[in-house]
Amino acid sequence: MQELRELAKKLLLEGTVKVVIGYAEGRRGVLPIFAVTPGEAGRLIFDPRCVQNLATYLSPRREQVVALGRPAVVVKGCDARAVAGMIRESQRSRDDLVLIGVRCGGVLADPVSAVEVSEATVAARCPGCDARVPKHVDHLVGPLPPAPPGTSALDARIAELEALSPGERFAFWRSELEKCVRCNACREICPMCFCVRCVADKAQPQWIESSPHARGNFAWHMTRALHQAGRCAACGECERACPAGIPLNLLNRKIARVVAERFGYSASGDPESPAPIGTYRPEDGEEFIL
Amino acid sequence: MSEAASTSTETGQAGAIEPRIVAFVCNWCTYTGADLAGTSRIQMAPNVRVIRLPCTGRIDPVFIIKAFERGADGVIVSGCHPGDCHYLAGNYHARRRFTVFREIMSFLGIDQRRITFSWVSASEGRKWGDVVNEAVARVRALGPFVGYRSLVEKPNAGA
Amino acid sequence: MTREMHISEPDLRVLAEDLVRGGTRLIGPARPPGKDGAVVYREVKGLDEIVLVGDPPARSLKEFFLPPTEVLFTYRQKQGDVELAPAPHVFPPQVVLGARPCDAAAVSVVDKVMDWDYHDELWFGRRQATTIVSVACSGGDASCFCTAVGLAPDVAKGSDVLLVPVEGGFHAEILTEKGEVFVAAHATRFAAGGRSEAAMAYRAAARGKAEANLRADPAKIRAFLESSFEHPIWEGIALRCHGCGACAFVCPTCHCFDIVDEAESVATGARRRNWDTCQAAKFTLHGSGHNPRKGQDCRIRQRLMHKFAIYPGRFQEILCTGCGRCVRICPGGMDLLEMLDRIGREPAAPGEAGRGAP
Repeated sequence: MQELRELAKKLLLEGTVKVVIGYAEGRRGVLPIFAVTPGEAGRLIFDPRCVQNLATYLSPRREQVVALGRPAVVVKGCDARAVAGMIRESQRSRDDLVLIGVRCGGVLADPVSAVEVSEATVAARCPGCDARVPKHVDHLVGPLPPAPPGTSALDARIAELEALSPGERFAFWRSELEKCVRCNACREICPMCFCVRCVADKAQPQWIESSPHARGNFAWHMTRALHQAGRCAACGECERACPAGIPLNLLNRKIARVVAERFGYSASGDPESPAPIGTYRPEDGEEFIL
Repeated sequence: MSEAASTSTETGQAGAIEPRIVAFVCNWCTYTGADLAGTSRIQMAPNVRVIRLPCTGRIDPVFIIKAFERGADGVIVSGCHPGDCHYLAGNYHARRRFTVFREIMSFLGIDQRRITFSWVSASEGRKWGDVVNEAVARVRALGPFVGYRSLVEKPNAGA
Repeated sequence: MTREMHISEPDLRVLAEDLVRGGTRLIGPARPPGKDGAVVYREVKGLDEIVLVGDPPARSLKEFFLPPTEVLFTYRQKQGDVELAPAPHVFPPQVVLGARPCDAAAVSVVDKVMDWDYHDELWFGRRQATTIVSVACSGGDASCFCTAVGLAPDVAKGSDVLLVPVEGGFHAEILTEKGEVFVAAHATRFAAGGRSEAAMAYRAAARGKAEANLRADPAKIRAFLESSFEHPIWEGIALRCHGCGACAFVCPTCHCFDIVDEAESVATGARRRNWDTCQAAKFTLHGSGHNPRKGQDCRIRQRLMHKFAIYPGRFQEILCTGCGRCVRICPGGMDLLEMLDRIGREPAAPGEAGRGAP
């Protein structure tokens, strides 16, 4: 990835940025790095093992990262949607950032043991991606790999669940959400969960029970899905981070489809496009209202 | 609080379990309309507990979750017709929010027949009576919302 | 007091069936039913469900002694007074079959703090009801480092019986009185044994494999941690950490909990204890708004200090068994082996060390 490394070194040497946030080879796979010297920039890579969404490191809550100075960040198309969301909601300003877009052909579901993208190894959210060449970025690097193979397993699974009765769906989600231990990895890794004080941490009064029983977990996940509606960048990080293996992508993708069908809006890499929740149209559908 | 109030449903005269329904209504339209229903002596099922809010835009969907957690078998959400909101746009925002939230609830398996959304204006006392009666009948037919209450096993049955 | 015996695989299968039929809860590393999910410790109904040798289970044994959420007592308000009722805690007998030695060792490490300023009846109630039969691990994967913290893939600590895979079955070491009781209850399944060359070869190979991942000197690491609170290494080491706490939740030795009162209705409710993590920002958030561990750098420093300096200072035990789960699960790529390796190469006093980012 010489193109990427040369660009990063140039940005640092020119003083355009103080840090380049990107991917590098670690002891047991790819990890995020914060390159502040040209030497460190020489470690940057991009390949299908680069699953992490680095946009989350732009959150103003991360004071040590903010302290490093003006950043450049390597973004895939999905990551760029998250950056756009953060700019749209005034967490960062566009002038503050340099976005290095990478052309992407899908990432691996298991980046530690797999190496090449195939129908069996590709991450479930990748097939059908329309953001393989990120727009609204300052630089674009890398060759365009072939499109991620196969069709989205997520849509097929959502269809299966929708065909069940409410009681059967409830039993499915109960068995999944019972596993949740409320570690909040889904929240901490999500670029769009940037609230300094999350509603789930509110105690006077408490709206969302903090105990990791199924009742508290239902309240948490329903609320997070609601707060992500129209904002979720579909980067898949929440499900990847979950230590209990809960299929969070199913819920977030289902709601993204609802938002697209009902409000004609899909999460976009353009920070200027208006977000659907917080805006309205007088002619919005209301067939469910008596 | 009486013993009966700490259980989640009461038995009606016919022996069927009567549902408990919580209604979140806006002050300016539906609450006033419900008041009109009362003063007009419109016969309504007594199962509904009304909670008054300034506007449907104030209704955080987490209130609905809380109602089910605390033993409600059904929920009604009602406010001003679009264009009539006292705060101009509160109900438009609510409409979008609830469009999404009912899909979240439905996807997770909460039967949407337990939840009723309506626009009831201050002059629609009769409509409020119809909304209430229809909702109560519908939720009664579904039975108590045992599934939600069983999400936490009771730690001590005697408490 | 170690006694050596042998149990064949068919005998072990019957033993498992006997346990389940007798009403004992059988726990072992197994896949979730009907799914391709990761192996976790769960209740099983027979030996066939158990993955005896293979990838370490995604979660630890901790949840069988300290559940993620647990009711301590319930309360009821009545006429201006409050009645408290301790939650009925029943500890049915259970056997863990196929525990990894690192996970068994972890349970005995946590025993120390659970008996320190207060004897935790709930933890020890479950401990007393549980027999742990471990299976010696074949050396783990690239994230394991049990040997670096003074343990081994075949360590006896914390286990009541240790099984070592040999041809056709297992060499069995009976390590504790509870282990003797267990074997006596299933005496017909065990055959006389003695030193087993095959078992010793297996164990030596496993140790060699584990040692290759990290060589560390815990005493040197502790000395560094105790003298380097303001060291520049902390500045960069946590940049990629999300503060999500997944590491603490899968860790077999992390045991911090939060106490909450949860209302069920206006007059009744329960007091619970729930798993908590020092990696969450609000863990040390004061009511005033001040947070003594304001940034992730402080919280990572705390994690390392607690595990490798404070706990050893207090209990002469490292609060880590090298199972590697934190490394495998971390979505941000934090790597404890790398951190320990780095720290192990620092001089004990702050010096010319560079920024913490690797």
